[in-house]
Amino acid sequence: MLAELTQHVVNGLILGGGYALMGIGLTLIFGIMRVVNFAHGEFFMLGAFFLFTLFSLWGVNFFLASLLSVLGVGLVGAVVERLVLRRLRLQPIEIPMLAMVALSVIIQNAAILLWDPSPKTIKHVFSPVPLTLGPIHVVSIRLFAGAMAVALIVGSHLFIQKTRLGRAMRATFQDTDMARLAGVDVDKIYMFTFAFGAALAGASGALLGAVFWVYPAMGDLAALKSFAVVIMGGLGDFLGAIVGGLLLGVAESLGAGYISSGYKDAIGFVLIILLLLWRPQGLFGKKTFPR
Amino acid sequence: MTTRGFWGIVAAVVLLALPLLGVDDYYLHLLIMAGLFFLLAAGMNLLLAAGQLNLGHTAFFGIGAYTSGLLALHYGLSPLWTLPLAAAFTGVVGYLLGRLTLKLRGAYFVLVTVGFAEVIRLVATNWMDLTQGPMGLAGVPPFNLGTERLTLVSKRDYYYLMAVMAGGTLYLTARLLGSRIGRALRAIQSNESLAESSGISAYAHTMLALVVSCVLAGAAGGFYAHYITFLSPELFGFQNTVTMAVMVVAGGQGMVLGPALGSLVFTFVPEMLRMAVFYRMLLYGVILLLVVMFMPRGLVFYLRALLRDRAKQPGVPSAAGADAGFTSGDDGARMAGPALAVRDVTVRFGGLAAVEGLSLDLTRGEILALIGPNGAGKSTAFNVITGFQVPDAGRVDFDGRDITSMAPYRIAERGLVRMFQRTSIFPEARAIDNVLTACHRLARRSLGELVLTTSGYRREEERLRGRARAILHFVGLDHKAEEAAKNLSCGEQRLLGLAIALAPDPSVLLLDEPAAGLNAVETERLMRLIESIRGRGLSVLLVEHDMKLVMGLCDRVVVLNYGQKIAEGTPAEIQRHPEVIRAYLGSGEIFAHS
Repeated sequence: MLAELTQHVVNGLILGGGYALMGIGLTLIFGIMRVVNFAHGEFFMLGAFFLFTLFSLWGVNFFLASLLSVLGVGLVGAVVERLVLRRLRLQPIEIPMLAMVALSVIIQNAAILLWDPSPKTIKHVFSPVPLTLGPIHVVSIRLFAGAMAVALIVGSHLFIQKTRLGRAMRATFQDTDMARLAGVDVDKIYMFTFAFGAALAGASGALLGAVFWVYPAMGDLAALKSFAVVIMGGLGDFLGAIVGGLLLGVAESLGAGYISSGYKDAIGFVLIILLLLWRPQGLFGKKTFPR
Repeated sequence: MTTRGFWGIVAAVVLLALPLLGVDDYYLHLLIMAGLFFLLAAGMNLLLAAGQLNLGHTAFFGIGAYTSGLLALHYGLSPLWTLPLAAAFTGVVGYLLGRLTLKLRGAYFVLVTVGFAEVIRLVATNWMDLTQGPMGLAGVPPFNLGTERLTLVSKRDYYYLMAVMAGGTLYLTARLLGSRIGRALRAIQSNESLAESSGISAYAHTMLALVVSCVLAGAAGGFYAHYITFLSPELFGFQNTVTMAVMVVAGGQGMVLGPALGSLVFTFVPEMLRMAVFYRMLLYGVILLLVVMFMPRGLVFYLRALLRDRAKQPGVPSAAGADAGFTSGDDGARMAGPALAVRDVTVRFGGLAAVEGLSLDLTRGEILALIGPNGAGKSTAFNVITGFQVPDAGRVDFDGRDITSMAPYRIAERGLVRMFQRTSIFPEARAIDNVLTACHRLARRSLGELVLTTSGYRREEERLRGRARAILHFVGLDHKAEEAAKNLSCGEQRLLGLAIALAPDPSVLLLDEPAAGLNAVETERLMRLIESIRGRGLSVLLVEHDMKLVMGLCDRVVVLNYGQKIAEGTPAEIQRHPEVIRAYLGSGEIFAHS
């Protein structure tokens, strides 16, 4: 009984680590650039497909392939920022949002053409025999995914808090104009932020792709989940994204275990609706009357 | 007849004649689908006018479709009844969702609506007993006009049914967007605080837009159910909403014809792309991206620019003879007691008391200044009085009634109106429309009269227009009436802000640093205006740093420092007050200009 519960929580935390990575990427991009990245799911999917291509098709070392996949998604993100978002910076919020929707249609259909729509598995290098820790069983690839997620979250946090570039990002987040006056190259920060956020989504996709399936539409659901994460955690809130991600992962795992697996994917949004009932003025928002 | 009216009639006649000209059923089907998407896009456009993008709109389409389909299947009701029932039910669902979510703004609202649609999709997929899940609901009866003998069979029949529905939608959205409702929605998008303080309830108006858009979506769903006769959870797919959003934005958001043109173009474009077979969706995405990037304001906007058809805005009536009577003075003048009484108000932010135990009275017909160094709590006091900040303790009475923590628009409706410190205009709208928008609370004609454009409604609109013009004349901006507010100079924008504050016919006016950024000549003019406003029976409370204005204009002065009242009296008394001198010492700012 308790063992089963613990098992669900552990599974949920591993899943939640992936969600948190997605959520951090989304929340950074929104916080700094005021862009709702509707192509986030596609970066997730690209991470998985890059890993599949490099490792399963071309036989590159698994770990090197993972690293290259994440960097590759970051590169795609940088290009998107330079060619699309930079031109739309002065437009009202729905314009870059729709541009990202259009981009997600493009990337997903390009993926269908490149890799065909059938689901694939990545035959990773880990043993399929689960590790047993008392009553809990975890397959080692999941453990690896969970550990990597934690490492990346902590790494991102340190990066933003401790490095010069991270400081420039935080400055831009607080006040773009002041940051520019203080000598921050805002264009560069925007490009880097978007690439960084995309890379985190790609990392999440590569990790969860190695655990589950890889297919062109896999990003749709992942994107929805990451939306739920950032609404719960607060748009632009780094810590909130981590908490929201882990919360969602555990809630889904418990919900699928004890309630119904059909409605598993709705749990995040049911949580949000409950939160709204509880705090009708908005989730983490103060009453917003800008003045 | 205007050129636009002429082309409108030509377009309508051509569209209605198409089926009689032997147009292929395939094209009739596409036009029907364009009409269907127009109902959806028009609703989305309405809500977007208030700045709220509903990216879960397809959920309402699906709810309408399933409601109508299930009612007809299970209860054998004629679609003539199930369709309006579905529309009404969808409106109710929209209302409930609005209760939960309309307090959210911007990206939060967008993401929550996306999630809502996903939840509904999952319900439709998993609630097998009701919807038969992914297998779909087959055998929905076709539309009939009450009895089965009058069943619509051909594409032509459905085409005309859709023509009626789309025509109705076009008329309805044109009426709403072209009236005070549209002005209110645009005001909410452009400056929500100012809209609220002009007596416009952001919640009520966005709710109206949401419910209307849901009713339209429900009707579209009902039509779809009986036209296609097969329903599946695919209806709830995000792709559908994306299509609608693209139609709105690519067509031209905020414009009545935008969604109409958008739905026509973006129904036919994907069809033409069928030739590309495998590359179809990829090309579709590329076209979307190019349209959004290079035509963000929408086709209608660029077409208009191309045809040089400067949209004929309603003319500005002459101000001649309209000058008198835009103020009714103090309604409560007969009542005893002060116009405004603040009692022991305290506001804390964390441990810091921004305002502590503040009490003040504004006597009828008085000009009272609230002064103090930066951070003394003046603006916080204003926010408490106008309902933008709920105090931790104390109360505010206006005309003898408690207005503490009332919503800002309710306070404004009662006749207490403020002007904001910096952004007290609606930047995108013309000056005259800025003032007209703020006349909102004076409109009495019902929504029904507005939609039907009764003569009573037209007279009222005319009267309000005259009033707006008279107020612009009063502040000396008639020559700028047609200019967009954002193009006015800083001084003119302050005057326009004053005109907006006067528009709801207040009895008490709160001015937050009205002279900020004005030069000496402009300040002089502003002083004369405020004096004249008082002469019309209004009471004025103002926060100001310009001591020349304060000392030259005000009857009494209240001085705040660190959230507390340290002095109160006539300008002469205040200038000699030792504590006031101490509070300002070092800055020397209080007597710098006097």
